[in-house]
Amino acid sequence: MIGFLHPWMLAGLAAAGIPVLLHLLARREPPTVIFPAVRYLVDTTREHQRRLKLQHWLLLLLRTLLIAALMLAAAGPTLPVRGLPGHAPSALVLVLDNSVSSGALIAGTPRLAQLMAAAAAVLRQARTGDALWLIAADQVPRRGDPASLTTVVGQLEVSPRRLDLGQTVTLAALVLSAERRPAQILVVTDLQATALSATETRIPIVVARPGDLPARNVGVAAVDPGPQPWSTDGGRVAVTLTGDSGAAVPISVVFGGRPARQALGTVGGVTLVSAPGVPAGWWRADASLDGDELRLDDRRTAIVRVAPPARVDCAAAGRYAAAACAVLRQNGRLADGNEITVGPLGRGTSVVLPPEDPAAVGALNRELARRGVGWTFGAPSALAEVSDSGALVGRERIERRYALVSSASGRTGVLATAGRTPWVVRGANVVLVGSRLDPAWTGLPLSAGFMSFMDALLNRVARGEVVLLSSPPGDPVLLPDVVTEVRAGERSWRVEGGAAFRAPDIGSYFLLAGGDTVGALSVNPDPRESALTAASDGRLTQLWPGARVVPLAGAADAAFRSLARGDLRGPLLVAALLLGLAELFVASIWRRSA
Amino acid sequence: MIRTDAPTGAARLDLLDPLEVSRLGGLEVVTHGIVEGFLSGQHRSPRRGFSVEFAEHRMYQPGDELRYVDWKILGRNDRLYVKQFEEETNLRAVVVCDISRSMAWTGAPEMTLPKLAYAQRLIAALSLVLIRQRDATGLIAFDDDVRSVTPPRARMTHWHQMLRTLAALEAGAGTAAEPALRRVVDQLRRRGLVVFVSDLLLDRDVALKALRFLRHRGHQVLVLHIMDPGEVVLSGPTEARFEDPETGASVVLRPRDWADAYARTVVQTVAEWRLGCRRHGIGYHRVTTDTPFGLVLREALAPGVRGA
Repeated sequence: MIGFLHPWMLAGLAAAGIPVLLHLLARREPPTVIFPAVRYLVDTTREHQRRLKLQHWLLLLLRTLLIAALMLAAAGPTLPVRGLPGHAPSALVLVLDNSVSSGALIAGTPRLAQLMAAAAAVLRQARTGDALWLIAADQVPRRGDPASLTTVVGQLEVSPRRLDLGQTVTLAALVLSAERRPAQILVVTDLQATALSATETRIPIVVARPGDLPARNVGVAAVDPGPQPWSTDGGRVAVTLTGDSGAAVPISVVFGGRPARQALGTVGGVTLVSAPGVPAGWWRADASLDGDELRLDDRRTAIVRVAPPARVDCAAAGRYAAAACAVLRQNGRLADGNEITVGPLGRGTSVVLPPEDPAAVGALNRELARRGVGWTFGAPSALAEVSDSGALVGRERIERRYALVSSASGRTGVLATAGRTPWVVRGANVVLVGSRLDPAWTGLPLSAGFMSFMDALLNRVARGEVVLLSSPPGDPVLLPDVVTEVRAGERSWRVEGGAAFRAPDIGSYFLLAGGDTVGALSVNPDPRESALTAASDGRLTQLWPGARVVPLAGAADAAFRSLARGDLRGPLLVAALLLGLAELFVASIWRRSA
Repeated sequence: MIRTDAPTGAARLDLLDPLEVSRLGGLEVVTHGIVEGFLSGQHRSPRRGFSVEFAEHRMYQPGDELRYVDWKILGRNDRLYVKQFEEETNLRAVVVCDISRSMAWTGAPEMTLPKLAYAQRLIAALSLVLIRQRDATGLIAFDDDVRSVTPPRARMTHWHQMLRTLAALEAGAGTAAEPALRRVVDQLRRRGLVVFVSDLLLDRDVALKALRFLRHRGHQVLVLHIMDPGEVVLSGPTEARFEDPETGASVVLRPRDWADAYARTVVQTVAEWRLGCRRHGIGYHRVTTDTPFGLVLREALAPGVRGA
């Protein structure tokens, strides 16, 4: 099937009709001239007329073909041909999978080295006029010439990020969507089964994959420190392993710089490892395995908040809140005291619930304003709503509530919402809840999440701590709106509250609001990268219909060979030149003979 | 174009541009001017024996008119002689004029006379010259048939009659020279001069055959091939349909592309006419309508031009 680099130029083929059009126009009846010596004209033209008519039609044909050839050449026609050296100017997106799994060692060298060599070989096949892009695990399409992209490929390292092959191919197709040249997507990958997802594109896809089998791998899928904060007496870390090995492997957990605790774990199982007591503060819990072929997933970090149980006065909090406080107190999560007052506005840190008597709201609001809380209770509402799911509270029924009104210019300190309006807010050292913790106001006290809500509310939120987050590197994380800065060791990033943050590397990131640490972000590799088992060719073609699979060694040949289109511009221009010369020749003969 | 090489210093009409001459007056006046200029430029009479008083006597024969009897000789010698008049002793000439539709054409009305108008003036001048030298001159006009016949006479009154006939000539239809040339035989019982004035846009073989016939009858034959300059050099719009006014035949072409080839065809055609005429002792002269009349007369009346 013939293709065109600039198909819109085909409109110019209409110009090929110009000679015929001029001929037809010229065929209009010319003016009549009375001329007695017509017999001389007849004598003059008689012997030449037949030959001249032939030459005239030949000239018309030559001129039409000449214009058609030029217009076709301008459209950049290409034709599938085999056996010709080189290729027509093409557009190629080279997807190089340098995700976590590409760091797996194969015979002592990383898989990525094989992939990079194949990618470099592909780029060597590129010619001037080709449009080239490179997309790696960071999902950034890089446009460049073969030399610059070869340099980029040579500098690539194993990325801590996951690469979803389906999404990446979709991105590549989007990049190529505006291309008029013959396009192709070449994916150089270890074809990890967990990275494969469906995609649909009309652009030809070639997948270059290694022929050898990957090693069996075990990685740390999760490190869960459980409910926080921990007390200074220590706690337990649940370590989950993932991968494609069934063997039990030793797990080592280091917490707070204390000596490592060892345990045996298996893939799919959860291993609990106790951690020693440490002083109050933010601590790292590192779970690690013995090194195997894929090192990057052998270590995983969690951040643990250690603090003594909050001393809470729940006497005036209502029946259900008081019961919850009692249970938490029995479990050691709370203690008696007046560090935090629940219900009315206390002298110190308070969790303020709406007063039972609406007449008391005005006085409460004046006191909140005097304390500089920035939030007050607004109009009451009996409209049934459901709270918006968030880190603090899930979806709970709300029967009655007070609107929470911010007196500040912004809307900082919102911890939970219902119907997109604030339901739990924090200002200064006061937390306001829009509904009383009573089934007549909300279904929360009767739900299973009430105890964890109260635990988080009293131990963390009331103390000014907002959130403990985790994500793979590079993934966007929505930060609480009080966060103004993210810090990791010596590095820090100024952030807008409520904006998304992408952690560049594996590690621990602390969320700061002013000078206070209000949360933490643990960044670890996506656990799906630990399963190195490759997808079969059948599975690939099932998800990517029409895709062609070639071995890594054949990637260079397959790169532009699958396009396999010869550039017809040169032959067409030569043909146009010959046609032009023929036209000149015939025209000169015509003039001479006339 | 005005030529000023007249010996008297005054413009000689015979050497003026024909179109300019035609604007000077009527046919008679103009013709007189042409002929006067022409004759004044001659060093000697164009014909030997030219004289209006020339006469001879012969024996009276029964049937001769008595008024021609020379009574003086009868009185002296008692013999009957009759006076023989000039017209019987000088040349008898017939001018055959083509008045077909093609003769009414001119390529540039503002520059040249139509061929017929040119021919009219030329014939008037030629006949005046002939009549002045006592040659009887007649006229036959034809298109696709013979349209008028004026028998040859040598009197000036006859020239005026010819003049009126010439002035009344209008372009007709097609061209058929043979009947007209055959009619010449009726007008010239003895050897005479035949002047064939035409644009020769006719069947050459048929015309030459008729001219040859006249030549075989002993007549001197002179062909004046009248051509418009526009027929010699092909010009016109970028592309045009050229249509023959007589036959309606037409050709579509680009004059610029065909001008050279056409010029070669004209040269070849003239050459073929000249050769065809010369082969049979027929005088041939090509005349373009921008040629001064005097030059044409000089060549037409030059000794030897008329053929053997």
